[in-house]
Amino acid sequence: MNGERRRWRAISAVMQRDLLEFVRDRRTLFVTLLMPMAMYPVLALASTLGLRTALSDIEARQAPLPLAVALTGSDAAAFARRIEEATRSEKGSSPGWPAGLAVNICDRQAAQELLDEGKMHAWIELPSGSTAALDGQTTVPIEAHISAVKPLDGRRRDHLVAVMEAVARAARQRRMAAEGLPTSVLEPISLSFVGGPKTDAPASIEGIVPTAAGGVLVLLALLTATGAFYPAIDAIAGEKERGTIETLLIAPASTGEIVTGKFLAIWAVTLATLLVNAVSIAATAAVLVRLIPAGFDLGIAGSQAAVAAGVTVAAFVGLAAVAAALCLAVTSGSRSGKEAQNTLTPVILLVSGLAGSALLPGTGGTAFAAVPFAGQVFLARESLSEVGFGTIAAHLAVSLVASAGVAGLLLRGAAAAISDEELLFRGPDSAGGLFTRPAAREVPTPMQGFATALVAFAGLWYAQGMAPNDLARAIPVQQAALMVPLVAALCWQRVDPRRTFGLTLPGGHRWPLVVGGGLLAGAGLFVLMAAATLTLRGTHLSGAARDLAERIMTLLLARPWMGWVLVAVLPAACEEVFFRGWLLAAFTGEKPGRRRAVVAVLLQAAAFSAFHLLPERMPQTFVLGLALGWMTLATRSLLPAVAAHLAHNSVPLAVVHLTADREGTQLLAGDPSSLAGWLVAAAAVAASAGLAVVNTGRRT
Amino acid sequence: MIFADGLVKHFSATDGTLVQAVDGVSFSVAPGEMVGLLGANGVGKTTTMRLLATLLRPTAGTASIDGCDIRTDPLGVRRRMGYLSANTGVPDRLTPQEVLRSFGRLHGLDDEAIAARVAQLVATLGLTSCQHRPCGRLSTGQRQRVSLGRALVHDPPALVLDEPTSGLDIVGARDLLDLLERLRDEGRAVLVSTHRLHEIERRCDRFLIIDAGRIVGQGTRAELAEGPGGLEEAFFAAVGQRGEA
Repeated sequence: MNGERRRWRAISAVMQRDLLEFVRDRRTLFVTLLMPMAMYPVLALASTLGLRTALSDIEARQAPLPLAVALTGSDAAAFARRIEEATRSEKGSSPGWPAGLAVNICDRQAAQELLDEGKMHAWIELPSGSTAALDGQTTVPIEAHISAVKPLDGRRRDHLVAVMEAVARAARQRRMAAEGLPTSVLEPISLSFVGGPKTDAPASIEGIVPTAAGGVLVLLALLTATGAFYPAIDAIAGEKERGTIETLLIAPASTGEIVTGKFLAIWAVTLATLLVNAVSIAATAAVLVRLIPAGFDLGIAGSQAAVAAGVTVAAFVGLAAVAAALCLAVTSGSRSGKEAQNTLTPVILLVSGLAGSALLPGTGGTAFAAVPFAGQVFLARESLSEVGFGTIAAHLAVSLVASAGVAGLLLRGAAAAISDEELLFRGPDSAGGLFTRPAAREVPTPMQGFATALVAFAGLWYAQGMAPNDLARAIPVQQAALMVPLVAALCWQRVDPRRTFGLTLPGGHRWPLVVGGGLLAGAGLFVLMAAATLTLRGTHLSGAARDLAERIMTLLLARPWMGWVLVAVLPAACEEVFFRGWLLAAFTGEKPGRRRAVVAVLLQAAAFSAFHLLPERMPQTFVLGLALGWMTLATRSLLPAVAAHLAHNSVPLAVVHLTADREGTQLLAGDPSSLAGWLVAAAAVAASAGLAVVNTGRRT
Repeated sequence: MIFADGLVKHFSATDGTLVQAVDGVSFSVAPGEMVGLLGANGVGKTTTMRLLATLLRPTAGTASIDGCDIRTDPLGVRRRMGYLSANTGVPDRLTPQEVLRSFGRLHGLDDEAIAARVAQLVATLGLTSCQHRPCGRLSTGQRQRVSLGRALVHDPPALVLDEPTSGLDIVGARDLLDLLERLRDEGRAVLVSTHRLHEIERRCDRFLIIDAGRIVGQGTRAELAEGPGGLEEAFFAAVGQRGEA
């Protein structure tokens, strides 16, 4: 048997074995097949009932409430007749009109008493001759006295206004007739609809399909990922608990082959979940369509729906692969089923968050299509819109290639973890208690890095919401959100600070030159990335980004030096210690290989960009994170990265300071006219030269 | 056939100290020989077995199975060795037939060879009556026999068995050891570890006594148990000598 055939036979043996186990597990069958079949009909039923209740409620709230009004004065009776005529002539012009309107003609004393007793909502004292004045050319002033006992609420007030407007319209027509003018003078246009089916559907819910699809797609992403949940636990943690993982590891198959076989089995179950979900959605949609009134505009044509369904399923095949690989990688690092369940729960939250991010306004584009879970939801939504098929096909290709790449990386991680001696056998003394301080290490573990980043991210998020608007206080609070968990982690895990935080001089005695290179590279990179951002995204900025730019401007113009310290110095110090120090060291490990170093740089750059919270800034900060990560690994020193970060953040401030007027906002907020060609060329030279100089401080 | 040369395995404890689980273990097992590895719990028996099974990588030293080095040719080792321990289980939702077939495929056997081998093993191991029943519903003894079948499905020339009778009753243990003797008589090299000396005292050709990660005594029963106390006294004597040293 040749090598390749033997390899696939081993993979197929593991896959078949695991699939057999999965299909005999009732829990897996319930979650993957039965739950989706029942979920969508139940959700649709609940949504329909909820929608109907909401519409009935809205209609009821829009209908006028009964109104009791007392009229006094010598013209009361005549005015009451005008009210009756006006409301009768407009009967049926709007839902609920005319509602119960009770008019009581009485004298002032009786009206006041009725008002005080709460038997009337309003009392209108009509001036003498007011009815005749309606037919004249003057404006009749009318005062409505409101009951203190029974105040007029908003809906009754609207009702009274509508009644008076109806009387005014009737009076207007009389006045025009008296002047010999036709009513068409006040109606230059009369619009009527000819042909087409008549629809009774409320305009507020017409064309609801593309909007409602967003929520369904997020649910589909979540449930598809859930399909991988139990099989992944069973495939790795379950095998460890049953003691069968050892039997696989002593078979003549590499860990890559074992993981691939398991992945294919989990992917098959996840695809089955996707299929059942898709069928259930289609069947539920078919039922809902029958319930929709004739002529109701769904906002999508039948052929477009078919294309959208095809694109969605194709994109979600990639999503299923990433979900299967992700669950497998996470459970590979678990020692038991319980531990796997605990570690997979945040994964489901991650999936929900990423998928939900595709519903945010302003998200989309080719790069976004490559983001796992978010890209597929975006792509499915895009296929429901007016975007051309060529663009959708290109985005689908990007999504599938990215899914394959991400799944491949995750499987490599799973293959490394599955035979990890510590995870497999715990080691003789590794079962320490929760509060046992771990042994000193040179650098933190990847899990410690990840956990610290997670806590810092949550802290930053909360700080963002609670921090004052004043940047002078907000920026230190945000940086503290990074530093507090880092200090706590440092107190817990003893590491070698020199190694973890790169506390060495880069390039020996040439360190000032290397640091200078960092400064040059950082400044050049800022201008280059600003130019790239303007070219790719244009000048459009979200409100949040524009607001931030304005606040930075205000701070800089008022207190330039404090602004520089807060916007450039503080982030350069704190963020470099956190991202290029702690996090990069954690992901790189004690004995980094080339591949692991690349993955570590990518991961810390992704975390660095995510921490900036503004989607517009993420591509720029990601590229900056890559450059800073490379500098730190190459020189084994944090100094060049700190210098580059400092220069990167200082450039826009220098521009603002030098121009000393609002023109600086153009560069901050993005205006192509601010970036001349010579400036971009100079920046490219500066960045290249700076990186080359930093490279002279490289340590092997 | 089974050959260990200066095997060393260190683990890092949570307090940062190094634990020497195996400290320079050397021995050999010839074809047609059954060797018993004797030792108390936690002295390095299982770590030694796992090193031979390529589940752990040695810190130093090496070992080979039928000429395949555990460091440089782990797949070759796995093709030539059957491994069984007290911890190795069987998939609950698969039948013995399915377990044996899937491992036959993993070992690269073709479908015909798998069918013949599985039929032979089912008969030899006494699994005929339960071969189509899910393993989760089998007795401990039956599950252990399925495990042994899994270790033998590729007809390996060497067997590494870590406390194979653990959890079995006296009848099950005797049946299993009888079977091991037959496998030895067929020409296989068998290394079996246990801390229950009486079970293998009269079945093994030679014994290795391990304590604190080191081989502290080895030889035939006659060589070790010269006095009236038998193998048990020899065992305690060997462990005691190391303690005095």
